[in-house]
Amino acid sequence: MENRFENNVFINCPFDNEYFTLLRPLLFTIIYCGYNPRIALERFDSAEIRLDKIKQLIDESILSIHDLSKIKSTKKNEYYRLNMPFEIGLDLGCKLYHSDTKYRNKRSLILEKEKYSYQKALSDISNSDVKCHSGEPEELVFEVRNWFSELGCQNLVSGSTIWDDYNFFYTDFYDKRTKQGFRDKDIDKMPIREFTTFIEAWLSDNNKKNHCA
Amino acid sequence: MDKTRVHIIKRDEGWAVKKEGGQKASRIYETKEDAREHSRSYREKGHDVIVHKRDGSIEKWEKAIR
Repeated sequence: MENRFENNVFINCPFDNEYFTLLRPLLFTIIYCGYNPRIALERFDSAEIRLDKIKQLIDESILSIHDLSKIKSTKKNEYYRLNMPFEIGLDLGCKLYHSDTKYRNKRSLILEKEKYSYQKALSDISNSDVKCHSGEPEELVFEVRNWFSELGCQNLVSGSTIWDDYNFFYTDFYDKRTKQGFRDKDIDKMPIREFTTFIEAWLSDNNKKNHCA
Repeated sequence: MDKTRVHIIKRDEGWAVKKEGGQKASRIYETKEDAREHSRSYREKGHDVIVHKRDGSIEKWEKAIR
């Protein structure tokens, strides 16, 4: 996938095992719709300063998807997560204050798990249009697909088709990898870059990819 | 013989049984168990049935019965 500003989507989301069930369909939907997902997990370099990486991803992406699913702690002594609200702030700051006016064209999709929960935790964005996925991967696919449509992406297939295709893709991915000797643990812990390369190849082989960007 | 794979996929209203490449699901079932029961007839006709988890990953790969 071509890495250029007009094509890139910065993903700001939790990086835990629970969220991976949403992250994988999210990556699939973004690539399916013709865009290039950019995420801090796309490369690993212990020497790289995390904030520098985030800044670079924001600089290089016209679009962004922020998922506030984890801003609420769910059990005693659990910390709620501040990274996502912090990175929304960085992204909005870039859009509003950057000296280069191309950043005024930045667009973002804010997602949450429970409807209106963000208003309690981050009331500064309470007039924003925030979409709810209820923690369901299928809903996430629908919301992201519809957002691309609202941005002007033409001839998109339905959210149902993308969701079904994700299930078909995953079957091929799983089949191919297990035949190569990969165990379930290897598949679950596969690096993002390796997974997105698989998505690219599958969409290309099946002639499924849109070219919106 | 048609050996197209059949999938059991989560939908907001239940669990769909859908042949790969098909336009529409054959039917939506309230529970995954009902969908699996129905899909047995596909296995008997030579189709593998892939049972998916809610997130689209694989729960079980049920081979064709004959």
